[in-house]
Amino acid sequence: MKRKVLVNVVGVLLALLLGALVMLVQGYNPLETYYRLFEYSLAPGKIAYTLSKSVPLVLTGMSASVAFASGPINLGQPGQLLMGALFATIGGLYINLPPLLMVPLLLILAMLGGALWSGVAALLKYWFNMSEFITTLMLNMIADFFTYWAINYPFFEKNANHPQTPLIAQSGWMPEWSNFNSSVIVMVLAFGVIWFIVNRSTAGYEWRLSGQNSLFSRLGGVNTSKNYIVVMLLTGALAGLAGGLVIMAGPHRFIKGIGGNYAWDGVMIAMVANTGIILTLVFGFFFSVLQTGSLGMELITAVPRELIQVLQAVIVLIVVAGRGYFETFFAKVEARRKMRERTA
Amino acid sequence: MTDIIEMSRIFKIFPPSLVALDDVSVAFSKGEIHAIVGENGAGKSTLMKILYGMQPADSGEILYNGKKVKFSDPGEAIQAGIGMVHQEIMLVPQYTVWENVVLGYEPVKFGIHLDAKKARELVKQKIEEFSFNLNPDAKVEDISVAARQKVEILKLLFRNVSVLIMDEPTSVLTPQEIPQLFGELKRLRDNGHTILFISHHLEEVLELSDRITVLRKGKKVGTIEAVEATKAGLAQMMVGREVIFESIRKDQSAGEVLFETIGLNYTDPDKRPRLKDVNIQVRAGEIVGVAGVEGNGQLEMVNVIMGLIEPSSGSIKAVGEDITRKPILEKRKRVAFVPQDRGNMGASVAANITENVIMTHHRLDKRFTSWAGRILDFKQASSFTDEVRKKFDVQMSSGEAVFKSLSGGNQQKVILGRELLLEAPFILLDQPTRGLDVGSIEYVHQQIIDMRAQMRGILMISADLEELFRLSDRIVVMHKGKVVANLATDNTNVTEVGYLMLEGAAYEA
Repeated sequence: MKRKVLVNVVGVLLALLLGALVMLVQGYNPLETYYRLFEYSLAPGKIAYTLSKSVPLVLTGMSASVAFASGPINLGQPGQLLMGALFATIGGLYINLPPLLMVPLLLILAMLGGALWSGVAALLKYWFNMSEFITTLMLNMIADFFTYWAINYPFFEKNANHPQTPLIAQSGWMPEWSNFNSSVIVMVLAFGVIWFIVNRSTAGYEWRLSGQNSLFSRLGGVNTSKNYIVVMLLTGALAGLAGGLVIMAGPHRFIKGIGGNYAWDGVMIAMVANTGIILTLVFGFFFSVLQTGSLGMELITAVPRELIQVLQAVIVLIVVAGRGYFETFFAKVEARRKMRERTA
Repeated sequence: MTDIIEMSRIFKIFPPSLVALDDVSVAFSKGEIHAIVGENGAGKSTLMKILYGMQPADSGEILYNGKKVKFSDPGEAIQAGIGMVHQEIMLVPQYTVWENVVLGYEPVKFGIHLDAKKARELVKQKIEEFSFNLNPDAKVEDISVAARQKVEILKLLFRNVSVLIMDEPTSVLTPQEIPQLFGELKRLRDNGHTILFISHHLEEVLELSDRITVLRKGKKVGTIEAVEATKAGLAQMMVGREVIFESIRKDQSAGEVLFETIGLNYTDPDKRPRLKDVNIQVRAGEIVGVAGVEGNGQLEMVNVIMGLIEPSSGSIKAVGEDITRKPILEKRKRVAFVPQDRGNMGASVAANITENVIMTHHRLDKRFTSWAGRILDFKQASSFTDEVRKKFDVQMSSGEAVFKSLSGGNQQKVILGRELLLEAPFILLDQPTRGLDVGSIEYVHQQIIDMRAQMRGILMISADLEELFRLSDRIVVMHKGKVVANLATDNTNVTEVGYLMLEGAAYEA
């Protein structure tokens, strides 16, 4: 456990060090840059904003983590996020209820949208044995163009000069207190539920074991095909929820390109976190710190924002590669120590 | 005799904490058959792999013909004259014998293309030189496993090796084929070749070798002359205590039929029949052994019984109920299953021990879950792990430890514990002691006998005839997907069963 924390911390520090080297080479002051970066994202007035920016990262990250750990290679988070966003938007355009009903309703719609989209991939596997690795990727494209069509034609805001829908009913906006958006509460709730399912429930146990060795689980009496479908639907719902919250906490309408890079960042976070749920939360927040801070970094220092993308990639590489290396390294050290004790 | 190879003070550590070789020094003389014996995990294969350049040693040195050597890959070792025949045979099945032998070492014409005629001729000469009884033009896919093994040996002889390392060469052979291999190895020795022979079959070791080195837990116990060795003595050196070998069954009358397959047929997707009208009955308090050369339908039978594949026709009954097409969980209420492949079918090696132990129990035993089976009770789970640890004498640090950190024997004990504690009346065992050391085998056998005493019905598939004869009340022999014999163990012998395994019919004396 301690070692796991150490591996991650050392990985991040090494990545920051490499980033500093890059800055030095480019003639920037790394200390100043990092200071601005973290100041802009972590200062008392800013942290609430950083937290709300972490919501789509953490949710898509959990989607990928749960899927990868349970076996299905669901890479459809971008499409599922867009479908979730579209469903929530459509609900918000045609329904108007008191906020206490409206917000949960739109969140459920968002999850439905995401689950529907991952469900398509699950059914293709079930009926035709098509790998979700391929189908989810292709469904991303379809979702991309389908939502683009939807906001250009049926749900287009008249007279807008940009593909976008009208604003959703105000009762469906996520309440906000100064900088703190209540979407963070939804994220924390979702995290709690997922953590509990994965670590305490019978289903979570079966998913984990099937993800590690599906043949063994099948022989042990686990209904692996049912679990496959449930996991696909659940992880689709998580990505859809992220999409709904992006609309409801942000621009309150579907604008072209709203999905941004959230979902791919989420997949990346799941990989750095080694599909651990808690680590997904931690790295989701950390990536949000970097992304939010990059704005301040660019405003105050001359370092371009793109450096943060480099930094993210380096973190992924070092932590993922380092995990295997450090484990072997520690193991070897321990083995040598034991041998010396024995031969002494 | 002069020493051709001298390995001194070899250390090898496998992280995290396995000291595979702990200060091992051993010398091999020219022109001897030298057996390396020891339990699994004793370090036999590792020692040979270091000599052969497949793995680096962490410290120590090797003298070969008096010169210090360090091979960084097997290619260098072969060039220097040391070759190894592995357990798994690695040949190109579509190529002929001579093509396989020259592969990678082909005589060429004009420096560019293969001189097929010359190559074939050279291989033929080699075959004659060592009187190997091989047809150079036969395709490898058409010849027997024993012949393939000969091709492997020939391949090395063709490269002029003088030291031949054989890693458990008899494990793929039937009892009838073993004497022939031994004859050939002895001829090679008389020709001046040195043969290093890894094995844990003591009888073979005593029969074949000149000298024997025993390893135990990475340490060398000693090197002795084969003429001075006895089976019991060697076993004691290997495990560090006395081991019993004779049959351990007690007389007991069997009860009602607990399990039967009725006219089981299975044709694979390539339209090849794999099981043909298989009828097997197992009674309560009875151990039925399934003998057969691997690949004669045993695997398909296991998969059909467990529900991984559907039979083309026929049915399976357990405890009076037809379970042929029942969901696996439903079958598991009646059938306990110990697969041959621990890491693939028997456990999730990446999960921790407790997670492995409660598999199946978590669905069948209410005490492990609450909320109508939805929430797992981890306290119950870990006390169950403790139960398995105590009852089955598992050496482990804690239930939280990852399964793959256990040794092979302890992994098997965990799996066995999980399955036997299911309390299913019928137990299907597929190679229950494959890859285990003598001590663990003895333990597993005792457990199986205990299950018999509890009047459970046991069907045991095994490639090890010694095991079959030691435990089974009856032995059925499978050949090409058919049950060709159903014999009471007391009325048959190894030769008869071995012959049936090979030929599929009884031999005429």
